[in-house]
Amino acid sequence: MAGYFLRRILLIIPTFLGITLLVFSITRVVPGGPIERMMTQAQLGGEAGSLHRSEGGGTLSDEQLAELERYYGFDQPLLTSYALWLKKVAAFDLGLSTRYQDPVWEIIRERFPVSIFYGVTTLILTYLVCIPLGLMKGIYHGSRFDSMSSAVVFLGYALPSYVIGIALISLFAGYYDWFPLGGFVSDDYDDLSTLGKAKDIFHHAVLPLIAYLAGSFAVTTLMMKNALMDNLSADYMRTAAAKGLSVGQSVRRHALRNSLIPIATSFGNNISLLIGGSFLVETIFNIDGIGLLGYEAVIERDYPIVMGILVISSLLYLVGNILSDLCVALVDPRIRFGGGRH
Amino acid sequence: MALLSNPIAQKRWRRFKQSRRGYVSAWLLLILTTLSFAAEFIANNRALIVAYDGELYFPTLSAQYSGRDFGQDYDYEANYRDLQRHFADQKQGNWVLMPPVPFGPLENDLIDGDFPPNAPSLATGHYLGTDTSGRDVLARLIYGFRTAMLFSLILLLFNYAIGVAIGCMMGYWGGAFDLIFQRLIEIWSNVPFLYVIMIVASVITPGFWTLLFIMAFFGWTGMTWYMRTATYKEVARDYVMAARALGASGSRIVFRHILPNSVSTLVTFVPFSVASGITALTALDYLGFGLPAPTPSWGELLKQGTENLESMWIVSSVVLAMTLILMLVAYVGEAIRDAYDPRTFSYYD
Repeated sequence: MAGYFLRRILLIIPTFLGITLLVFSITRVVPGGPIERMMTQAQLGGEAGSLHRSEGGGTLSDEQLAELERYYGFDQPLLTSYALWLKKVAAFDLGLSTRYQDPVWEIIRERFPVSIFYGVTTLILTYLVCIPLGLMKGIYHGSRFDSMSSAVVFLGYALPSYVIGIALISLFAGYYDWFPLGGFVSDDYDDLSTLGKAKDIFHHAVLPLIAYLAGSFAVTTLMMKNALMDNLSADYMRTAAAKGLSVGQSVRRHALRNSLIPIATSFGNNISLLIGGSFLVETIFNIDGIGLLGYEAVIERDYPIVMGILVISSLLYLVGNILSDLCVALVDPRIRFGGGRH
Repeated sequence: MALLSNPIAQKRWRRFKQSRRGYVSAWLLLILTTLSFAAEFIANNRALIVAYDGELYFPTLSAQYSGRDFGQDYDYEANYRDLQRHFADQKQGNWVLMPPVPFGPLENDLIDGDFPPNAPSLATGHYLGTDTSGRDVLARLIYGFRTAMLFSLILLLFNYAIGVAIGCMMGYWGGAFDLIFQRLIEIWSNVPFLYVIMIVASVITPGFWTLLFIMAFFGWTGMTWYMRTATYKEVARDYVMAARALGASGSRIVFRHILPNSVSTLVTFVPFSVASGITALTALDYLGFGLPAPTPSWGELLKQGTENLESMWIVSSVVLAMTLILMLVAYVGEAIRDAYDPRTFSYYD
């Protein structure tokens, strides 16, 4: 078992290298990188500031270009510059953002609190609501309560969270003006009292949280319900029924633990969502989290930030997968990873 | 049809039909899709039939007619909505039959004394209003639905073809091939493919097919895992051994024996793939990285709607249309899954 997880952890390395190399090459091959951006900026600047800039006519000279290329490492072949980048990453240096000229790590770190706030709240709410709801739906399968809640669950299941977000913001912020049109806090946040601050965050967070929840909510509830129903039809439940246990007792004593296994499988995958967030939801609600940062970085060709976020999110994802397996092994003692072929 | 002739498939089909909600949804979806492929007859600024001087013209089907062809005083293409009003005023037995939505998806209909977007109104004939450049929302919804459906169906075909082929090979050959491809797929599916599309799309304006190829390039991985395990399972069974003993070649075993036995489960994934195709395309269009500008698309309408929140009809039309289609797809998916996996219920029932 320990050997299996050790092997899994070691396998992170080639996968991580593959992902980063692939995206690194794409940023390299695709034209319109930071240097082209700078040239257009220089051209625009040259036109605007032509009074005190007589030389060059606004475009960069060959020397300046070469210097810029050297600065960004574009003068070396792909693999060499990738190796250089990797060496820096191994030393926990994600480089400088081409847009802000600030260290990438600091820019990302600034956004962490917002993303973690939404990630953790969504995760907690999901488990708090979905597990009991799934249990109820499973036990009372086919009842009125089941079919009524199914309608809501199904809506969240069919619609992607960004569509729900758009619907919510246009109805409750655009049309009815009950909630702010986006952002994490109001402009006058710093002047508010502690209670006011909490209220302000809550006021801003309601709509995005619903959008986030809607995505994971339906899947988790259905997973819980289906797992419970599978277990209700298992032989050990027949035994429990024969022993004379009531539904509630046998669910509590026997089915519940087994039904949590599928939920446990997805637990680790939530880790990456915890910090990454959904850039679509963040874009819609204009929340300054990691998702929006990455989206803007792609548009602005701020490749150091793109790569920095990729490093963090892919590591989280890979570790999350292993965590999921670990959770499953903890919940279900029958599962022995790496025992045989799979 | 060979897939439907075996008794297990027939049983599944019966179970699928028993789930009324799924069955009705499947029919509705089929009808809506078929209708959207005849969108030119439903939403168009060209008339279906023009009766002029005792002769019938079919502008949607035939070449362009200029205004002069119908006794007007201009050489450009006839404006059939004006023509309809004109003929009605004349009362000379000429008439024009317009499609139910008398506007084309790319046509800007500017109303005098009003700036687009115009609110829905029966008087102007814009049942769902117009967008910010005066194009009919309903017409764009219909054409956008066709694009999205076509896109996700072709994407599904590509994804499944590649996914099934590679999954089968992984399961059948196993060993080093399996191991290498496992890593490759893991890398592939971890690449944030929306980022890649955004990076590519911000450089070249991708057309329908470019976008399709990029998405298929990163989208095929989902299917391979299922096919791999399914093939693994089948290879270990006796009939494959028997086929091998009879001297069947590897490709014959895969195509004639393993594929028909394992491919049927893929059906359960189809509705969800369709939904995710539509969702992904709409998201890309919403962000402005999707299909090029004048193409009618749901995502582009959503973008307009969120930028003009006071024009509620734009967002609400798209959201309602998406809700309807995605719910139908989800119901079909649920019914298919139930047909494949009939649950034996609780002992407490």
